Amino acid sequence: MTAPRTDDGDGRTADERRGDGDERTGSPSSATAATDPLLRVENLHKSYGAEEVLRGVSLEIDRGDVEVLVGPSGSGKSTLLQCLNCLTEIDSGHIYLGDTEVTASDTDPNEIRQQIGMVFQDINLFAHLTARKNITLGLRKVRGMSADAARERADSELDRVGLADQADSYPAQLSGGQKQRVGIARALAMDPEVMLFDEPTSALDPELSNEVLTVMDELVDEGMTMVVVTHEMRFARGAASGITFLADGQIVERGPPERLFENPSHERTAQFFENISHDHD
Amino acid sequence: MDLTLWLGQSLAALAHRPDGVLAVAETVPALVDPVAAGPLQVGDWEFVAANADYLLGGTVLTVLLTVTSLVLGFLLGFPAGAIEVYGDGVLRTLVRKFGVVLRGTPIIVIMIFTYYVLPIEVPINAIVAVLTAVDAALGPTPFTVPTSVPDTFMAATLALGFRSAAYQSQIFRGALESIDEGQLAAARSIGMSRLEGIRHVVVPQALRRSVPGFQNEFTIVLKDTSIAFAIGLAELLKRSHDLFLQQTTAVLEIVLFMSLIYFVLTFAVNRTLDYGSSYFAIPGDSS
Repeated sequence: MTAPRTDDGDGRTADERRGDGDERTGSPSSATAATDPLLRVENLHKSYGAEEVLRGVSLEIDRGDVEVLVGPSGSGKSTLLQCLNCLTEIDSGHIYLGDTEVTASDTDPNEIRQQIGMVFQDINLFAHLTARKNITLGLRKVRGMSADAARERADSELDRVGLADQADSYPAQLSGGQKQRVGIARALAMDPEVMLFDEPTSALDPELSNEVLTVMDELVDEGMTMVVVTHEMRFARGAASGITFLADGQIVERGPPERLFENPSHERTAQFFENISHDHD
Repeated sequence: MDLTLWLGQSLAALAHRPDGVLAVAETVPALVDPVAAGPLQVGDWEFVAANADYLLGGTVLTVLLTVTSLVLGFLLGFPAGAIEVYGDGVLRTLVRKFGVVLRGTPIIVIMIFTYYVLPIEVPINAIVAVLTAVDAALGPTPFTVPTSVPDTFMAATLALGFRSAAYQSQIFRGALESIDEGQLAAARSIGMSRLEGIRHVVVPQALRRSVPGFQNEFTIVLKDTSIAFAIGLAELLKRSHDLFLQQTTAVLEIVLFMSLIYFVLTFAVNRTLDYGSSYFAIPGDSS
């Protein structure tokens, strides 16, 4: 671990809030209840040409955690998510999902990606398919589900994000917020262990952002493990179990939201939150 | 009329050459000065009408040649375009260079090459063998399997097909490249392999975007089938030429009638593709 990690009582309040879905909620005071981390990153390096985007990032995320990644643009947040999802090849380091080493040469990245859902900044709904078929495509082609079962599952996922009535709409017929909710439903339908969000609301109007954030809040309540790159500090304050501040491809500081917001250890972190709050005023 | 005279003299000049590839006429008819005879005569239209079935026979061959050439062009051109976008190494280099050569060579040169240089009986025997095997596999069908394919038709199909493949590969390359990279990333993010993502997400969108380019290519191939005249294939232009040799005063009438047939064919197919394009268009998509 290159970054300081604060495992104090603050982290556990998030678990309590999430309720019964989580296996660890039985005894919030028991420090030994935590199992192995669900997602473990060790000394990750990644360069694009001469530019080193990630310079030794290590991170551990437990099941049910909601980790919010913040940092200035170019700090490597999005690249880190893409590495976690095997959408980008890493240069060195290790990534583990549960007991599986994601980065091992004999691991099928297509298997890993089914277990790690991804929500994109530019949404990337399949433009030629209806909302429902955006979801059934993966179920049919990857999972090999029957048409009826896939359709049923898609409709229940659309209902979960409040878009049951838009099942037959094409992406171009939906608003930005609706599209992103379909994007979330598409990822959820694959039953992922972890959901990655890469600035899910930054392409949306504030008004439309809220409907997406509401869906994300519901996921938090259900106990979904999430890694979220966002500048929505309201979401970070309300939902995050931990905040990781990245700059220049390294983790500067990591801790529960209350401490990072109120009392950051590093000047750089303080400066960043200062700038962000000005932007949003 | 100057135009009539010019057309008449040019066609007559082609027919007169005893040494050239284009010397297709065996008997040289007595030339009548089309100007003296006057353009667009009732008698000449009657001659065209009387021989309309002969021209329509050529039209059938023209349509058939267009179809075989476009199908060959699609079968080769679509993978070639995909290789140019997604492939790498030697294969991609080869495909690119082959395309550059084909696009840089006049169609008549390609056709002369396929007719005179290629051992044309090899693909002909292969096609007949495949058709016979398919027929045997299907059992009794109402269709008769050809026991041979005319070498002129084969050579014309190869020439037009390969040239069309070179152009179609660029249509598909452009269409594939126009699809946002995020589409493939999204497909892979739900566990699809790269190939599955290309097949189920990128290609269906790219094919829609390639329709306008394909309409263009269809029109070009249809009209360029007339080049098969040069190797003596009895398509529409060759048959029009045959008629002109019989009644040289009717050249303008024959050319007009022939052009009308080409126009009707291109117009009808373009309208059909327009309809198909809007039928398969993605709802709400403005592009």
